[in-house]
This record gives sequence, C-alpha cells and structure tokens, in this order.
Amino acid sequence: MLFPLDMMRSGEVAEVAEISGDPGWVGRLAELGLRAGCRLKVLQPGSPCLLEVADCKLCLRGGDACQILVRPVS
Amino acid sequence: MPSAHLRVALVGNPNTGKSTLFNALSGLRQHVGNYPGVTVEMKKGRFSFHGIDFTLIDLPGTYSLAPRSPDEMVAVDLLLGRRAEEAAPDLILAVIDASNVDRHLYLTTQLMELGLPMVVAVTMTDTAAAQGIVLDCEKLAAALGVPVVPVQASRGVGMDALRSALCHGGKVPTPPPFPDAVAGELDALAAACPLVPRFLVQRLLFDVGGHIETWLTQTQAPTLPAQLAAARQRLAAAGCAVSGVEARTRYGWIRTATAGAVTKPTTRLTTRTDRIDRVLTHKVWGTLAFLAVMFLVFQSIFVWAKPFMDAIDAGRGWVGDLLTAHTAAGPLRSLLVDGVLKGVGGVLVFLPQILILFAFIAVLEDCGYMARAAFLMDKVMSRCGLNGKSFIPLLSSVACAVPAILSTRVIENRRDRLATIMVAPLMSCSARLPVYALFIGSFLRDGYPWWLSGLTLFGMYLIGFLVAPLVALLLKRTLLRGETPLFVMELPAYKMPTLKTVLFRVYDAGSAFVRRAGSIILASMVVIWASLYFPYVDASGASYPDRIEALEADDAPEGSAAEAARLQGEWKRNSYLGRVGRGLEPAVAPLGWDWKIGVAALASFPAREVMVGTFGILYDVGEVDAKEVGNADDPKAAGLKATLQKEWADDPIRGKYGVSVALSVMVFFALCCQCASTLAVIRRETRSWAWPAFTFTYMTLLAYLGGFVTFQLGRVLTDALGG
Repeated sequence: MLFPLDMMRSGEVAEVAEISGDPGWVGRLAELGLRAGCRLKVLQPGSPCLLEVADCKLCLRGGDACQILVRPVS
Repeated sequence: MPSAHLRVALVGNPNTGKSTLFNALSGLRQHVGNYPGVTVEMKKGRFSFHGIDFTLIDLPGTYSLAPRSPDEMVAVDLLLGRRAEEAAPDLILAVIDASNVDRHLYLTTQLMELGLPMVVAVTMTDTAAAQGIVLDCEKLAAALGVPVVPVQASRGVGMDALRSALCHGGKVPTPPPFPDAVAGELDALAAACPLVPRFLVQRLLFDVGGHIETWLTQTQAPTLPAQLAAARQRLAAAGCAVSGVEARTRYGWIRTATAGAVTKPTTRLTTRTDRIDRVLTHKVWGTLAFLAVMFLVFQSIFVWAKPFMDAIDAGRGWVGDLLTAHTAAGPLRSLLVDGVLKGVGGVLVFLPQILILFAFIAVLEDCGYMARAAFLMDKVMSRCGLNGKSFIPLLSSVACAVPAILSTRVIENRRDRLATIMVAPLMSCSARLPVYALFIGSFLRDGYPWWLSGLTLFGMYLIGFLVAPLVALLLKRTLLRGETPLFVMELPAYKMPTLKTVLFRVYDAGSAFVRRAGSIILASMVVIWASLYFPYVDASGASYPDRIEALEADDAPEGSAAEAARLQGEWKRNSYLGRVGRGLEPAVAPLGWDWKIGVAALASFPAREVMVGTFGILYDVGEVDAKEVGNADDPKAAGLKATLQKEWADDPIRGKYGVSVALSVMVFFALCCQCASTLAVIRRETRSWAWPAFTFTYMTLLAYLGGFVTFQLGRVLTDALGG
C-alpha cells in the first residue's frame, strides 16, 4: 500500500517507493539522501514538514512532499 | 617529490565544518576572490608545510557537482581548470561528515570523476561518536583508494596529519563504474561534443534540464538535443533511466565501500540536537524562542550600536573642527568638511550596525539555528512567494537595508533572492526615524490625544510590513515569475560556533561594505554638497561664506546669528539644487509640498538622514543634528519645530492641511529609496545596474503615489470635517 508522504503522521517510519516530479528535484533529493529505497521518519508533519533521513534532518513543503510515495513500515 | 607549490580545492557539503577547516589551515593568510558575471565569492588562503607552499581555494558548500545555475557552474569550471583567472587545482581536499558518511560520499564519488588526486578529511568525529557511530579511517581509505584523515579543526586535532597527507599529494581514485549502457551512451555523446571534458558530458546526460544541458544545446551542433533525448530514452528502455541511475550507482558503490569501515548502532540514539529540536522546531515553543532571538538581535542592533555610532559622529565632528581651524574658508574647506567628511562619516556610521548584525548572523548560522528559523518562517513567507530564508533579511532591514541585502546570500534561489533584495529597502530603517520624529513632533503632538504620536509612528513601520510582502508577491507574479522553487533544506546538527569563523564573517561583511559601497556614498555626498554650495555669491557679487563668517565672528553684533541663518537659507535657495527644487515645485504641489520640502527630499536621495539637516538649512535655523530631533532641550531642533509650525501656519495650503502634508512627507519617506548605500549594495550583490535602477524607480514612483494619495485624502477629510 503506497501513500503520499504528506499523509504520514508524526513519528511514523516509511520506506520511499517512488519520487516523481521534476528530474532536477528528484536528483536534488537524491543528493540529500532522499531516494527510492531509503527509510525515513516523519518528525513533524504539515507544511513544511520535518523528516529524518539517514541520520540527517530535511524539511520539505507539503505540496512537494505529496510527490513522494512511501510504504509505511510498522 | 611533489612540486614546491600546490593548489588545493576544498570541496564539501554545506554545514560540514568546511569553513572552520579552511580557517584552521590558512589562518590569517586569506582573501576573497570574486568571479565576473556571477555572485559567487570564493575564499583563497595560503599556508606552508614542510617546504611546500599551498594555495587553498574554498569552494561554496554544495551537495553535488550537478550545476543548476551559472553560479553553481563556477565551482565545476574551476575544478576543471576552465576559468581563465584560476588555474586548475593540483589536488582536491574533500570534506565529509563522520556522522553521515554515506550522504557526504555522494559528492566525493562525483569528485572522483575529475581524475585529480584527492585527500579526504573527516570532520564531526565527536558528533559521530556521540551517536555511537564508529568510523575506521584506514578501512575507508582502502575502500576509496585515497588517504582519509580524521580532523577536529576547531581544536587543531589531526591538522598536521592532514597537512602531511596534502604534502604527499594524495592519490587519484577510481570512480564508481556505471552500467555498460551508460558508458556506451557517454562515449557516443562525447564524440558529438568535441572539446567538452568527459565530466561535463556525463553531467549533460544525467542532469535533465540542468545548466550544462542549457549551455551545451545552445553551443554545440543543433542535432544534440535530439541525440540527448534519444540516448536518455534508450537508457530508460534498458532499465537505467537517468532519473535514478546516478543515485543508484553511487549509493550502491558507497554502501559496499563503507560496509566494513562504518559501524552504526542498530537503533539510532537520541542526540542532543534531537532534544534541542523538540523545543526549537516546535510550533509554539519554537516560534516563541524565535521571536525572543529576533528581539534580542534587533534590540542589540539599536542599543549596542548607538554608542559606537555616536562615537563615529563625535569623531567626525572633531575632525571637522580641526579642518575648519586649519584651513581657510572657501570651497576647499567646505568640500572637505561638508562633502568628503560627511560622506566618509555617512559610510562609517552604518558600520556598527552591520558588524553587530553579521556577528549575530554568523553565530546563528554557525551553530545551526538559522535553518530552524527558516523552517519556522517558511509557511508565512511562502504566502508572499518567498521562502523561510527571506525572513531574517527582511526583518534586519528594519535596522538597515544594507546589511539586510548582504545577508540575502543565504537564499539559493536567484528569483527569491532578487525579490527579497528588491523589497528589503521598503522596511522602515533606522535612518527614517528622525524624519518621522520631526514631523510627528511638530504636527501631531500638541493638541492631539497622547496616543496619536505612537500610533502614527507604528503606522509608518506598518507601511513597510504591509507593502513589502505585496510588492514581493507582485514581483514573483510578473518580473520574477517562474516555477515555485522546490524548497528542500537540511537542518544540520547543532554545534558550538567557532570564534574564528564568526570574526572572519564579520570582517568580510564590514570590509566589503566600506570598500565597495563606501566609494559610491562618498561620491554622491560630494555631488549633493557641490549642488548646494555653488554658486556661492549673491546678486551683488559678495560671497555668502565670507558674509556668514563675518556674522559668526566673536565680536559680531547682537542678532547676527539669526541673520547668518537667514543668509544660509538664501544661499541654499539660490544654489543649483535650490533652483532645481523651485523648478520642481509644480511636481510636488499635488503632494501638498512647497519647494523647501521638495529640495529637502531631493537632497535626501543619497542618504535620507540628510533630510532633517537640509530642512534646518532651508528654514533658516542653521544645521540641525538629526539625532537631536526628539530632544526638546536642543535649541536648534526645538527652533526647527517652531519655525516649521509658524511658517506652515502662515501658508494657505500647509496652514490648513498641515497634518496631511506632514503625513504625506512621512509616507513619501517610508516608501522612497533614498539611500545611495542601498543602491550601491544592490548593484554589488546583483552585479547589474538594472536592479538598483529598477528598485529606485519603483520605490520613487510608489513614494510619490503614496504621498499624493495621503495628502489628497487628508485634504478631502479635513474639508469634510472642517466644513
């Protein structure tokens, strides 16, 4: 079951399944460690939201976060 | 034996402690290098070790070598030796953060493609240790194929090992291999772009819509776009779509390389940063903490800077007296005292505020708080088309637009940065305060409710707070229209700011302002001086300065001081600027102004502080010190208020509509771009005359419109209430 990232709640952990949108942006996120297959934790939902990805904290806007499809990990 | 001189490029992600490492290596032997056509500045430092002279070039922090703009291209070009002013580096010093090795090695693997020898420095080893991460540098060195040196630059740990590794010249690594399909397409594209380095051909293939694609499709054979599209399509069909193949290949390689070298705890430990962030990024507590920090910053800018600003003013007065005592009266003395000295003083007087603001910015940025502030403010700022990083420059502008514009450099997106620069001067800066104080004190205090003066002052500041976001929104919808930039930002781990980094940052900001903006302010002050000084003879051919000096002599008869002030006024009226002002009267009449207000406003274009002083000269009370306006005990300031009230009362327009005229002048000053320093800094930061010209034009038009509407509305209201 895939969800857009902006539907995740605080504290939930998920694995990134797919990132769509502008190729430049997808590349930029990959540079920051956010890419298909990586694990993330939502620290603070909303816009901008706060994520923990591979030991670092990233913030994204809600509109951009919905381009990221994730698979929740329990 | 390596050559006796090595050029080292320092490359790494933002917030890796790269600046600290740079300062630790090069100490005081550093300077800033500019590159034509772009807003990039790179620091260069020098040091010697074991008989080898090193030149260290500090490239701007970046997450990758995939350039999206001409600014980001500078770093890539420099590494490839493609910039005329800078030879290619002999050696790359890549900086990686021990607490997040995988992410940081992404850039390192790109650097490996350059074919240059490399040394890797690992920073933040203490942070990593606190998180339970263990790094085996020898194993990592074996996996990467280059020397790896752990350092703690702020404490000087590992610095000699690093210098010695640099002396040995590093090693040329083998980059991660890409799938055969990618390599084949690269060969074909490289053949189509002769003379373009293979590294750039790779970027052309991978970076869809990137800067390299734009640049090469314009300069290479017209068949290139079709060829590129076909290559990308073939790769997608082969299961290596360019959108993912680079990240997959690099991260896959990194996983293998770090497998034996990095040991992480199975469950992530809660760090100090996590605990601090629970408060500082919290919607309520975080916002309150942010407001408290901002209050502290601005209070300090106003309060701490004041004694220094007073001292600079006093120093200027002292030098002025000295010059007056030792030079003969005449154009030369006046040029030195009223032109040059006022110009120099006008530049230096901003310096304390700039230095204090930049000390705060440097501390907040170095400790990692700035990203949290941008995170908290992003929601508000995105409503007017800006992003969280625009907030601090805009708020700083309440003190002074000059440091505010310099501080917009943290905004990476060019359009957002330009929009922030364009609207920052609309915020009411501290130099507008004397003007507000003079007019509120003269026309809105006596005979009005006690709260009206405070409310009016608040209203003047509110104009900036309301108009700036509106103009920003308008600019983002028109001139600076473009896709909403995707906002993604890293929140780095908190760390103690280092004194060296803060001091260098403050020094850079101060010297940049004095050297570059200084010359323009000085020049414009001299021009204004000259147009108020010449011609300096009256109708009968007698010289004004001589007549005034005779009246100011110690043995002059009673009442000659008033006569001297009257002569000053007559002289200014007949000066070139005075004549222009009188010619301008029809233009300023719709705002309810007479020629005196017009001239004062005109003379205030280089620096709005000049307004009160010029007003004093024009209203024949001699020069008034801008700072003394609020002080009822200062005879000249009190005299100016009384004269203003009396003169305006005798005038049909300004007598009846005094309050409307005062408000019209204040609104004009609130909106007008009367600051040569601001324009000079905009020119410097945008590297173009078009943006300062645009800022000046739109603000002046807005100010005129604002003044016009205020006066006309006020007039209608006064008539309705009075009649």
